[in-house]
Amino acid sequence: MQISRIASPLKLLTIALKVGRVTKKYPFGPPLLTESFRGAISIDPAKCWGCGACTLVCPPNALTMRLEGEKIVLEYFKGRCIFCGMCADTCPANAIIVTKEFELAATSVEDLKEDVIHKMSKCAICGKPFVATAEIRDVMKMQPITEEYANICPECRKKRAVKAFGMRFGAST
Amino acid sequence: MSMKDVVKEIEGKVVEFGGVVETITDTAVFVEIPKERVKEFAKWLYNAGAFLKTCAGVDERSINSRFAVYHIFGLDEKGIDVVLRISSLEGEALPSIASEVPAAEWCELEARDMLGLHILGHESKPRLVLPQDWPNAVYPLRKDVPYDYRPPSSVENFGKELPSEVGLPVGPYHPILHEPEYFELYVEGERVVDVFYRGFHVHRGIEKLAESPRFTYKTIPFLAERICGICGFVHSSCYVLTVERAAKIEVPERAQFIRSIVLEIERIHSHLLWLGVAAHILGYDAGFMHIWRIREPIMVLAELLTGSRKTYGINIVGGVRRDIDESKKKKALDVLRNVREEFKRFVEVFTSVPEIVKRATGTGVLPKDDARALSVVGPTARGSGLRRDVRKDYPYFAYRLASFKVPVYSEGDNLARLLVRVDEVFESISIVEQLLDALPRGSIAVESYEIPSFRKAVGAVEAPRGEDVHFIITGHGRPYRWRVRAPTYQNIPALKIMLRNTPLADAFLTIASIDPCFSCTDRAVVIRDVRSGFRRFASLFEGRRYANK
Repeated sequence: MQISRIASPLKLLTIALKVGRVTKKYPFGPPLLTESFRGAISIDPAKCWGCGACTLVCPPNALTMRLEGEKIVLEYFKGRCIFCGMCADTCPANAIIVTKEFELAATSVEDLKEDVIHKMSKCAICGKPFVATAEIRDVMKMQPITEEYANICPECRKKRAVKAFGMRFGAST
Repeated sequence: MSMKDVVKEIEGKVVEFGGVVETITDTAVFVEIPKERVKEFAKWLYNAGAFLKTCAGVDERSINSRFAVYHIFGLDEKGIDVVLRISSLEGEALPSIASEVPAAEWCELEARDMLGLHILGHESKPRLVLPQDWPNAVYPLRKDVPYDYRPPSSVENFGKELPSEVGLPVGPYHPILHEPEYFELYVEGERVVDVFYRGFHVHRGIEKLAESPRFTYKTIPFLAERICGICGFVHSSCYVLTVERAAKIEVPERAQFIRSIVLEIERIHSHLLWLGVAAHILGYDAGFMHIWRIREPIMVLAELLTGSRKTYGINIVGGVRRDIDESKKKKALDVLRNVREEFKRFVEVFTSVPEIVKRATGTGVLPKDDARALSVVGPTARGSGLRRDVRKDYPYFAYRLASFKVPVYSEGDNLARLLVRVDEVFESISIVEQLLDALPRGSIAVESYEIPSFRKAVGAVEAPRGEDVHFIITGHGRPYRWRVRAPTYQNIPALKIMLRNTPLADAFLTIASIDPCFSCTDRAVVIRDVRSGFRRFASLFEGRRYANK
């Protein structure tokens, strides 16, 4: 009895010998990731419309959109990313894919940022830039709308509709 | 007694006390009680076997120009929540029910701190949640305080409260452990005579943040998941459960199963983590290494099923985002079989090691009566002989369809809590296997849903540490009020009882034995000798140093 009480903790030795070494030789061994791992995202600038749907669903605001003169910039900041992949689920153009990349350390913050820059189209009436050119192109592919209609900013579209409506009821201008 | 009879009885009582029954749902009864008689009603409920889950202060001035406090009771045996609402105009006093229901003290103090409610009997008590240098008349959970408000940090605010003796700046933010909290143990020689706790160092204002325009119903699950680093999925599950209850969304069965499966996997890894940490605290590092080795395949399995080792990010309102296919199912069953065998073999060794068994037996005792009075939850309650388990009492997701035992030990000491966790690992493995086998076909999320405003709901999910409660009042696009009560919140007050009159060497294990999760609610401990006033800081892992003296 006494002997077994002393001896049973020693069973750990047999377990340890049987299991052997479990530490992996990272980064030299085989990859440690499973097939469903979600890492950093990658945005394909050729497919991206610049619609900004991803920035609306991104919980930590890692994806943001800003105007820079006549350009619209979609910025991906890995420092904030929580790797949830909501953007990839939402993207209407399938431009975002979730990669398995997880070794993201960088020596400067700027290295953690990625920009997708879109040229903006100007409104045919008021001349203000209002939407990414790529978005007009791709929306026209999907929806049967005329170029004339698509090239007008929402403000002017509204004004024009009001004007047309007014003219029908006899307004002078 | 059936559910209908229980509801009828409650209705009768409410009328007797001059109150109104607001709404009755499948899982909860919402009542309004005149504040003068709430004490009596709370006492009646408490004596009828209800546990206090939490209370939530709400600034309802934009709806009805009043402040309200919701006391959430749970009738465990009947599986029904009773939510008491009392309200007052700004500046009016509200009664406290802490004298009848001791567990209400913390949440009432929190309501006082965060909303500036005048709760009778709590006027002179020190702040619980807000830091000492927080300005006096700013109450962060009031709707007129912006969510990104930062008080000017000034030394002036410290004023007279600055202590005359300043310790070494080691605690409360301990460099090894990531969670800061502060215990002051008053010792007489080797015995602990009193305990002082100061927490909420990492209060991140998540409830307030969720009310900000930054967040919507869709993105809050990811925020909720970050309440806790170990049991994050519990919080996101509890949030979606509560929203789904409030909006009456029917979630596909397959999604319910996947949620239950992932919750159980989280429980397995959390319990294994805790057992490892307990071994480490007791100086049995070989055991610590082996338990964590056994745990590793579970982490990899979680990654396989969800895409991430932790903070899985698969919960959304109305379903889940990742499916479990046949090949994943097969791999999961393989992993679970191996883990069960390895853990079984290891537990035999673990429970025969004298340094574990002797130091855990008879230390940190929490008697059943105290456990009941403080409404403790989870393994802490089950180790003290209370059969409380949300999975059985208030079945949610797919737990109705799984058969499992709730391990209960009556000793109330550290060993009892340890054994509860060991047993639960086996039960959880069996639950996951059952659910994987019975995984129904179908979609994993609803296509669309609508969430009406100003509906109330209570949701509870059994976290590895105990019952996690969320209370939601829905609003436009995001909750009007979202109250989170993590399990540790309910268990910390019990530490005072566990620690009193125990040797100092056992204090470290006892504090760890409730499996505290302080970000949800540092493990640096200040030890002060009552006679000499000698004061020093220690980390939780230093316990063995005292033991070896």
